[in-house]
Amino acid sequence: MRIVVLIKQVPDPLLPVSELTVSPDGEKILGPENVPPVVNGYDEQAIEAALRIKDSWDGECEIIALSAGADFVIEVFQRSLVETDNLVLVKDDSLDTSDPHQLSRVLGAAIQHLGDVELVLGGRQASDWDHGQVPLALAEHLEWPCLTLARAVRVDGARVEVERVLSNGYQLMECGLPAVVTVTSELGELRYPTMQMRLRARRRRPTYLSLEDLQVGADIDPEWRTLGISMLEETRDCRFIGPDDGAEAGRQLAALLLEEGAIASIQPREGT
Amino acid sequence: MMGTVLVFGETEAGEPAPGFWEQISTGRQLCEQTGWTMDVVVVGYDTGPAVRAACSSGATRVLVVDDSRLDDPWPEATTEVLANVCNELNPDAIVMPRSLLGSEVSARLAFRLSIGMAMDVMSMERDDEGLVVTRPVFGGAATASLRISGRPWIVIPRKGAFAAAEPVAAPSAEAVPFASGLDSRTIKTTPLTHERQADTGKDLEKARVIVAGGRGMGGAEPFRLLNTIADRIDGAVAASRPPCDAGWVEPMLQVGLTGKTVAPDLYMAVGISGATQHMTGCSSSRVIVAINNDPDAPIFRMASYGVVGDWQEVLPGFLEALSDGQAREIT
Repeated sequence: MRIVVLIKQVPDPLLPVSELTVSPDGEKILGPENVPPVVNGYDEQAIEAALRIKDSWDGECEIIALSAGADFVIEVFQRSLVETDNLVLVKDDSLDTSDPHQLSRVLGAAIQHLGDVELVLGGRQASDWDHGQVPLALAEHLEWPCLTLARAVRVDGARVEVERVLSNGYQLMECGLPAVVTVTSELGELRYPTMQMRLRARRRRPTYLSLEDLQVGADIDPEWRTLGISMLEETRDCRFIGPDDGAEAGRQLAALLLEEGAIASIQPREGT
Repeated sequence: MMGTVLVFGETEAGEPAPGFWEQISTGRQLCEQTGWTMDVVVVGYDTGPAVRAACSSGATRVLVVDDSRLDDPWPEATTEVLANVCNELNPDAIVMPRSLLGSEVSARLAFRLSIGMAMDVMSMERDDEGLVVTRPVFGGAATASLRISGRPWIVIPRKGAFAAAEPVAAPSAEAVPFASGLDSRTIKTTPLTHERQADTGKDLEKARVIVAGGRGMGGAEPFRLLNTIADRIDGAVAASRPPCDAGWVEPMLQVGLTGKTVAPDLYMAVGISGATQHMTGCSSSRVIVAINNDPDAPIFRMASYGVVGDWQEVLPGFLEALSDGQAREIT
């Protein structure tokens, strides 16, 4: 079985807001130069989901990580390179875009180019634009079924079953292969690559594809256009509650919140 | 012909889903800017209460797709239904809910129709070429303005950005049934079962007061204190990502980019540093309180009130003062 996992580099979402800047063209958010981007967190979970399928798969199972963009920091993909059988990068200046439709057309063409792909896994959303649209648009583009928000993915013969996370529980859903499945953080802990995996990956290099290889044109007429980005000076004037004595500060805080109406009601203590 | 705005009325067990009245408010604003009229389509099963809400929303027409297969969320089927409705009504704009279902259905419909969608919209303005909207990006650290032009415009209002609309005095429309047009032979996905989570407390997205803990809580046990406080002030407990990843609390409690977006009256952040990832989920709260022992924690820049200190000292004092406050209320 051949599984493709969609991955993307994003500025580190654990950076505080104050360290982010807008690019000179006003269309992108940049992290500080000395802090490398990271692989989008959900995408790492999608790789983990693929590895779990491989663990239980009886027979050959190949995992290919796939990313499309204008530029990559290869070191950031090191772990993906170690954990998967191949890392395929579609590189083109025109892919410096967050247009989910164009990205899904490009990724779709790459998946068809690779051939025999039965399952595409991706993160439920990326932490930069927070769209969560690419895997869905990709499924529409390929006309494949799509199951989303999986906390568990099981492949059984020609079908895939997921436990889909809802705000009030979860549901089981299934569909036939080939299919697109998005993975959510409830999937659980990621593994660390074993020494064996590291050694195997030592000489491995990514495979590059161009838009020409894929016969996809650059997007001439995107469905939406970014007009500009401005950093939010959304800071509030924090009023600090002074006393060094923590308990006293806590008391003053409670009094203040009651007075200003932020706490509207106090429930009786249990047992009183 | 007069243009129309279609509001997608998602339902939960027959009730309008949270955010419905914010969608109506968004729909009304679009109508004011364009001179169009508003329709609502209610989709679900046994949708009586949601239909009554829709009929008192000021909509010109209310369509009802009531189908037992739509009792549980089923994104593919809902996309089909909405595509069928769009075929019939040909709307110029669609207002979708910022829910798991609403976001997914919007993305799929947008690709099918080759149109853009505007997610997490904070404000919108029509211009000659389309609709210009602002939305938060990178976890609310920045605001992007973008234009969608192809119609229908798909607009998903950000939670809390549009005040919930009030129902109109007299029902404005009669509900008209609309066939779902679902054909099980062409649907590719199948829902099997739906387990509702055991009641783990208050619904975060409806809570007016939220007490949230972060990495600084240090373990599962300290969250009991947050629970006690939340119970006293009629609030819900939430967490940033690290406590969820570490298994201290249920993943359902997560607020932030990878969790829920909330906008309560009061958000108390305890031991939370204020990473972008978290702040995006709570930055619209009316009052934000930060309790953190690091005076340089970024959370203080976003907080209305701050206490630099150890929560193990601050929170007991806080609880004690609540009891005093209650005593004063009674006397």
